[in-house]
Amino acid sequence: MASMGTPAVVMDNGTGLTKLGFAGNDSPSYVFPTAISTSTASKTGRGGSGGRSNNLSTKRGLEDLDFFIGDEAIHAATGPNYSLSYPIKHGQIEDWDHMERFWESSIFKYLRCEPEDHYFLLTEPPLNPPENRESTAEIMFESFNCAGLYIAVQAVLALAASWTSPKVQDRSLSGTVIDSGDGVTHVIPVAEGYVIGTAIKNIPLAGRDITLFIQQLLRDRGEPDTSLQTAERIKQQFCYVCPDIVQEFNKFDQYPQEKFAQYIVEYAERKAKVDVGYERFLAPEIFFNPEICSSDYLTPLPTVVDQVIKASPIDVRKKLYKNIVLSGGSTMFKDFGKRLQRDLKSIVNERIHLSEKLSGTQSTGVDVQVISHKKQRYAVWFGGSLLAQTSEFKSYCYTKSDYDEYGPSIVRNFSLFSVP
Amino acid sequence: MLQIEPHNLLVQKTLTERIFPDSESLKSIDRIITDFDFTTYHISTFPDEKNLVLISIYLKCYDDLAKYGVVEYLNGKYSKFNEFLTILSGNDIEQGYNYSLVLDTNKIESIDDESKNEVINELALLKRHAIAAPFEQAFTRYDELVQTYANSNTYAEEIQQELQNEKVLVIKYRGLDECIYIKPSFDRVTVIFSTVFQDETDKIFGKVFLQEFVDARKRSVQTAPQVLYSHKEAPLDITNYVQGKKDDENKGYITFVLFPRHLVKGDRRDNCISHIQYFRNYFHYHIKCSKAYMHSRMRFRVKEFLKILNRAKPENVDDEGKAIENRKTASGRRFEVGRV
Repeated sequence: MASMGTPAVVMDNGTGLTKLGFAGNDSPSYVFPTAISTSTASKTGRGGSGGRSNNLSTKRGLEDLDFFIGDEAIHAATGPNYSLSYPIKHGQIEDWDHMERFWESSIFKYLRCEPEDHYFLLTEPPLNPPENRESTAEIMFESFNCAGLYIAVQAVLALAASWTSPKVQDRSLSGTVIDSGDGVTHVIPVAEGYVIGTAIKNIPLAGRDITLFIQQLLRDRGEPDTSLQTAERIKQQFCYVCPDIVQEFNKFDQYPQEKFAQYIVEYAERKAKVDVGYERFLAPEIFFNPEICSSDYLTPLPTVVDQVIKASPIDVRKKLYKNIVLSGGSTMFKDFGKRLQRDLKSIVNERIHLSEKLSGTQSTGVDVQVISHKKQRYAVWFGGSLLAQTSEFKSYCYTKSDYDEYGPSIVRNFSLFSVP
Repeated sequence: MLQIEPHNLLVQKTLTERIFPDSESLKSIDRIITDFDFTTYHISTFPDEKNLVLISIYLKCYDDLAKYGVVEYLNGKYSKFNEFLTILSGNDIEQGYNYSLVLDTNKIESIDDESKNEVINELALLKRHAIAAPFEQAFTRYDELVQTYANSNTYAEEIQQELQNEKVLVIKYRGLDECIYIKPSFDRVTVIFSTVFQDETDKIFGKVFLQEFVDARKRSVQTAPQVLYSHKEAPLDITNYVQGKKDDENKGYITFVLFPRHLVKGDRRDNCISHIQYFRNYFHYHIKCSKAYMHSRMRFRVKEFLKILNRAKPENVDDEGKAIENRKTASGRRFEVGRV
């Protein structure tokens, strides 16, 4: 195995979290916040003396080397002298200086590899402007001299990750991806590996809104601990999606022992008990009934998915209904996929029924299938790892010499992975 | 500030998660981890016995290392943990890798946390130890030479001649063009790196960097080893050993001269080995950092120039050629007239 050469590096830089690792592994090696804390120490502190000397070192300080990334960055930012910043906003890189240094440290410190010896697979959000791709390529090739580069669209990788599910029979790159992270939820239709840009829809409800909603409920009840962290833990440990709210409320009344739970917060010196009640099923419910949490966004997720597919070209719609793939941490709730499938099916069936009644012809029916699988949380990274370990991967990459020959505009187009 | 650590963070993390597990059930692991200079680790569990973790390492220069007693050295390092750590040999070594160890996580339970951490750290240093073997051998040779020539006139011609002929240890750690040469002598050990730059820009950065490096020692850090840099021409000590392209424009040689004060047995010697073997990686990291710094200055400049360009836009004129009063902000934006 080892003699086959160095494994490709897969980097998925998201707005909130960065996933780093090597192709062929089943989970990312590192998952940490996409944060960088840079030194704010004044330049006058150093380098002021020794004016006569002609050395470069006295002309400037070492501020540009003094930074931390990831969890260390957040830790460092609690002290003085460091300021924290998030170089990626809304999925797109905003601060290239910081991003360049973020990559520098992730490659050398965390992954410990010489970029000249490795191929890289990076990800980008759908509708990323080609200029951003070019800037990324400039950094990867000119700063790091990386051996080869492939920039993949996140939604396509999420589709590839779903191939691990036993439900998937044909490995195609067509489907609808529901990507819900911390900040935003995207619904992205993909046809044969190409994102249908005009049909993409965003939902401004995601993981953070669920956490805030839980926190609000805890506060209303006057629980002893209502910190964001506690709410986050409760979300991860206790929440699930129910088939019907009214029935679920009844169940809570009938079997309080089974349904109500308790979460114990441990402090250094004492413990606090937080009761967990209806938020167990109410919190994820905001995807399906957004009115319980927000007053300005009211379209439920299944309706949005239906709208997205209806906005896509007619010849791919059946495939899009058949292959709805979940990706990201906020889709991890138990039975999320089942509920989505049921709701979407009822919308579609209603419409088919109506059209049958109006036209008088028999419809062949539309197959609606939501696929959830084990690698859902880091689906994008996993899809990248899956594709980058194939033997053909290197032939899809652009190498350093290609870049030197054509310049940055070469990365505007990448050939798609042919489906094995 | 980043210091490239001799231990592999990821190996450390993986093993820590394994030895101090969060949950009861053991999951199977199978992961590939890399390190600098074409080093690959493979950490996996046996399919039927999940308490056994197999740790294998592949090094590009293992054949060279084997000549300099790497197996004995590594065995020496790890045999003290033999209660729970088995060193595999011969055909048991994982296919495609050079050195394999098996860690039994059930047996390790019995020792206290501090010793567990020590084991983890030692395993994370696997690559460092492997490359350290030839250094150790050269340093041992140096100790011998010190003994041999303790009372003789080292300026004598024949002794000089003998020292000239001292064997040089060669580690081709990145192929033929990039090697480490180690030559022991009675009063010093010379370590020479040959380096080749693939990229034109890197070459220039590297050259400036190395020249600064040579100067830095003269100026302030006198206790550091002496550093010499030569371009294209190999130092005389190793001319007979250089393989690959001899008169390559891109090739450079960096010589470190380690004096007895760096070779004091114990921590200092270990430290010296750890630092010197990561020299190339550190060097390349800094070239990349300098480039990143240059890029950030370029972006800053472009922004400044754009501001100036924006200010230089021609003023709006009306039909009679008179300038329309049109004020601009400092960044060059206008207050749009006529639009609300």
